Amino acid sequence: MAWELLLWLLAFAAVIALIGLSAYQLICLSDLEFDYINPYDSSSRINAVVIPEFLVQGILCILFLLTWHWFPFLIMAPITYYHIKLYMKGKHLIDVTEIFRLLNGEKKYRVIKLAFYCSIFIVVIYRLVTTSVLLLIEEDDQALESGIF
Amino acid sequence: MQPRGKEQANFPGRPTSPFLAAPQSSTPFRSPGPVGGIEASGPSRATTPFVTSGPMTGLGASGSPQNMSPFLSSGPAIGTQPSSYRAPPPSMRSNGPSSPPTSSFSAQDASTYQQSQALGFPPAPMHPPPIGQPHMPPSGTFRPQSQIPVVPMGPPPQSSSQLTSRSNMPPSSGSVFSAPRTPPQPLLQGYSNVPQRANVPPFQPDSQFQASRPVSQPLMQVYPAAHVPPTHTSQYHAHQSLVPPPPPVGGPMGFSSREQLQHPLTGPPIGGVQGLIEEFQSLTVGSVPGALDPGVDTKSLPRPLNGAEEPTKILEVYPFNCHPRFMCLTTHAIPNSQSLLSRWHLPLGAVVHPLAEAPDGEEVPIVNFGPAGIIRCRRCRTYVNPYVTFTDAGRKWRCNLCSLLNDVPGEYYCALDATGRRCDLDQRPELSKGSVEFVASTEYMVRPPMPPLYFFLIDVSVSAVCSGLLEIVAKTIKSCLDDLPGFPRTQIGFITFDSTLHFHNLKSSLTQPQMLVVADLDDVFLPLPDDLLVNLSDSRHVVDAFLDSLPVMFQGTSNVESAFGPALKAAFMVMSQLGGKLLIFQSTLPSLGVGRLRLRGDDLRMYGTDKEHTLRLPEDPFYKQMAAEFTKNQIAVDIYAFSEKYSDIASLGSLAKYTGGQVYHYPSFQTAVHQEKLRYELARNLTRETAWEAVMRIRCGKGVRFTTYHGHFMLRSTDLLALPAVDCDKAFAMQLSLEETLMTTQTVYFQVALLYTSSSGERRIRVHTAAAPVVADLSEMYRQADTGAIVSLLGRLAIENSLSQKLEDARQSLQLKLVKSLKEYRNLYVVQHRLGGRLIFPESLKFLPLYVLSLCKSVALRGGYADALLDERCAAGYNMMILPISGMLKLIYPDLFRIDENLLKDFKDGQEPLRQLPLSAQSLDPKGVYVLDDGFNFIIWLGRMLSSDLLNNIVGVELASFPDLSRVVLCQHDNEISKRLMRILKELRARDPSSYQSCRLVRQGEQPRELSLFLTNLVEDQTAGSSGYVDWILQVFRQSQGS
Repeated sequence: MAWELLLWLLAFAAVIALIGLSAYQLICLSDLEFDYINPYDSSSRINAVVIPEFLVQGILCILFLLTWHWFPFLIMAPITYYHIKLYMKGKHLIDVTEIFRLLNGEKKYRVIKLAFYCSIFIVVIYRLVTTSVLLLIEEDDQALESGIF
Repeated sequence: MQPRGKEQANFPGRPTSPFLAAPQSSTPFRSPGPVGGIEASGPSRATTPFVTSGPMTGLGASGSPQNMSPFLSSGPAIGTQPSSYRAPPPSMRSNGPSSPPTSSFSAQDASTYQQSQALGFPPAPMHPPPIGQPHMPPSGTFRPQSQIPVVPMGPPPQSSSQLTSRSNMPPSSGSVFSAPRTPPQPLLQGYSNVPQRANVPPFQPDSQFQASRPVSQPLMQVYPAAHVPPTHTSQYHAHQSLVPPPPPVGGPMGFSSREQLQHPLTGPPIGGVQGLIEEFQSLTVGSVPGALDPGVDTKSLPRPLNGAEEPTKILEVYPFNCHPRFMCLTTHAIPNSQSLLSRWHLPLGAVVHPLAEAPDGEEVPIVNFGPAGIIRCRRCRTYVNPYVTFTDAGRKWRCNLCSLLNDVPGEYYCALDATGRRCDLDQRPELSKGSVEFVASTEYMVRPPMPPLYFFLIDVSVSAVCSGLLEIVAKTIKSCLDDLPGFPRTQIGFITFDSTLHFHNLKSSLTQPQMLVVADLDDVFLPLPDDLLVNLSDSRHVVDAFLDSLPVMFQGTSNVESAFGPALKAAFMVMSQLGGKLLIFQSTLPSLGVGRLRLRGDDLRMYGTDKEHTLRLPEDPFYKQMAAEFTKNQIAVDIYAFSEKYSDIASLGSLAKYTGGQVYHYPSFQTAVHQEKLRYELARNLTRETAWEAVMRIRCGKGVRFTTYHGHFMLRSTDLLALPAVDCDKAFAMQLSLEETLMTTQTVYFQVALLYTSSSGERRIRVHTAAAPVVADLSEMYRQADTGAIVSLLGRLAIENSLSQKLEDARQSLQLKLVKSLKEYRNLYVVQHRLGGRLIFPESLKFLPLYVLSLCKSVALRGGYADALLDERCAAGYNMMILPISGMLKLIYPDLFRIDENLLKDFKDGQEPLRQLPLSAQSLDPKGVYVLDDGFNFIIWLGRMLSSDLLNNIVGVELASFPDLSRVVLCQHDNEISKRLMRILKELRARDPSSYQSCRLVRQGEQPRELSLFLTNLVEDQTAGSSGYVDWILQVFRQSQGS
């Protein structure tokens, strides 16, 4: 049962990271919109975290698949598919020359992704808690049993 | 007519801001009517004139009720004064217009003017106040009297009512509005007379004020003076009557009336006062009803054959606007609500051409504020302009964009004259001209102003050398060295490349240039830290020697590769410190190193599929990234592409697109045919005045916002265009959106500011200011529409659509916009007029259907795979994105002239002007010679039955012995006809200096050249897959009729 807990802890960390990365990109975009930052910096900052985000997300998704957690996997799968598609088309990076024209679309895309990550976050927290509680109860039971016997 | 025109003209200018500015002052004026005005503006002087105007009393009596009423009530004064008093309001009107910004133009002027000038008020904006002064003494005496009446003045009902009845009679309702509106402003400024106000019964000011405002609006918005308290309304009516010859007030009204006057025949005369509003509408209806039975007379269709006319009539209405050549709105009437905007299906926006060449005598004045710094609004950073208003005795000014009250710096202070105008108005171009250029101080620099810098990246592979291109380029550059702007600071440098990079050391201490070859394409480095970029005046002899030896140096080359990407990087390294202009001469497809391009070619199978547009997009992100880097470092890229085969202009062009550059395309370069064109265009590029490291921003008043921009630039923030280099041949387009659902202002102001470094090393700001009225009426928007700007914007939108959609879809959306707009226009009038079987379109847009058709048939958008080579299509697309309006119209609807008459006859004194012909095969006579001029090429069409004598003289050889006209180069031969032809062509070329037309000959029936060169340009004819003009009109008509 311990490995299960480990998995959820890992997933918890990963989802937090994903949310952080998405939020960071969103902040960069809205800073750009309000002219606190120039498009070059904004796009290079965003582009720097795009691949890490994809990797984390992909690994997490594979992890769920390998551990046969269907529900979180199914939530993650569409995003993974979308990421792969973007990457194959070479459109995963922000184009600095067109950034203002695409600004609204990019923001929307990241907001939706953020919402997805948040929903996964809830699932992960729930599972993490249940797992750990179960684990604790089990241990208690065992302790009890051992105590008794 | 005269006075009217003027009045309207000025009205818009002054509208809101003054109003807002001095509400309180206005009240005094109003309520006490004449009294307030008089005293306020050194008023006393004014009075005397009035007295003299006794004769006018009759009119006056009927006239300004508001003024009168006080008098009536104040018994004593009545006899003599009424006349004088009424007088003021009208006069004010007349004055008002002339000097919009100086709303303070006071009563005194007004009164004087009115009398003397009555209707024929001259347009001169500045009126000498002095007239009033002589009268001073009498006025002084007068004043006490006037004040007395004030007290009782609260509008005596009975008198006013009488007046109203009378007043209603005058036919023109417009007058009503105008009258109320002006008075407040003139009197207001700074003159508010506190004591007086005190006298006035408290309720009155408000009511008056209110009344006046609704009045001015109602015209445009159909709800008339509902708000006005009853008593006052009566006053207004009276007032109207006062202004007998009254011009309509308020922007829109004014226009309509003008329209009416201009096209008196168009509108069915609807008689009577009651039909007034209807009359305006019907006017527009009638403007151009094109009757379209099938089988229409093709000759009756509207065609722009009279040359491009500049839409300068706006200047009559808004004399303080910048010239439309600098900034032109698609419709000079901004819709006041989202719902109105949604009914305007054409783009709403502007075409801005900040550095447009002005004819001699109209140059943009340069203003240097010196230590005072440039006067700008604290909040919105608007530059001071003719539409700002000065208040508080000249110590404050109100921003016309955000209406913030700013302090006038001590150095800039100037007293206001009695009318509230600044006394030094005439000496200050920034307060009297719509376009000015400010000399910027060091606050406007992030670094010392850069020197003009030209860097050349020249392809020396075998195709460039063999075609003779290298030699022409070297010679042209050398011939331009003396004329490069910015002597003695100009910097210059060269890199040549084939499969390796060749750097050239031009150090001034050398006698001969040194060539350094770098073969490592993966990791480009500079072999020398400096001396690759040198000061031209120091190293002139080395540069000369280099350019002399350049063609010889690579003569025997057999290198076919092109390491374009690495060369680009190397050039970037050399230039990144300073920025400047990078001119690239590329004659093959980049084949080595980073940025190499595939021969993705023009795949027939791609057309009609969803992937079609990818052909027109840059293939390798490398070019976009480089473009972004270039812009960041203030480098502009101009591409000269010469390849005979496919060279992926779509990818190369993106370098120019994001750096404010330009793409010059010479498909299958042949020395004989293209050398003149190349020489001219390269020379112009090098020697024209260029603005370096520029940024451009367009500010606009509250309620509207520019959302999208179209052209060659890079956006640095949501509304800041970065332009590493910009010159007089580049225009930009942008679209507006409304931020508020309902606009409350009556005028929207726009201000284009271009901050740049001139070649002389001075930091400058060029500012263009324009005002446009806000309207509530769709027909007014149509009336004020500008076809040129609309077509220019539509064209750019269509080009951008073609980068993300199929060509077919781009054309469809063009047509859809046209149809929707015509349908909307039709719906405006179809109810009250029987229009069955007629296509109606506004006078202002009569050429729009034709231009949209030509746009669909332009090289960039026409047909599919077979209709244009991909490279040419892309190059045309890039070209259309920067063309100014006139160039765009000429490109899509070229000029066609018949010239054989002119060739045969000898016109001693000047040529008979050439008559432009419709672009249709019907215009062609097999016995004639025709010239087609699209601004970039001449195509000379020789009829089949042309006399062989004429033919031989033109061509210079026996045609029978030289059948291939594609190889014939037109040059001057030793005969009269050839000389005359050359003279004609020279004249045509002189019309537009921005490009050079290379000349090609086509013989009738010479297929397939005739088809591809000439017949495709006859846009009114039906060609495979596209309709002719008549069909097009019928098609549009049918679609616009359907519900």
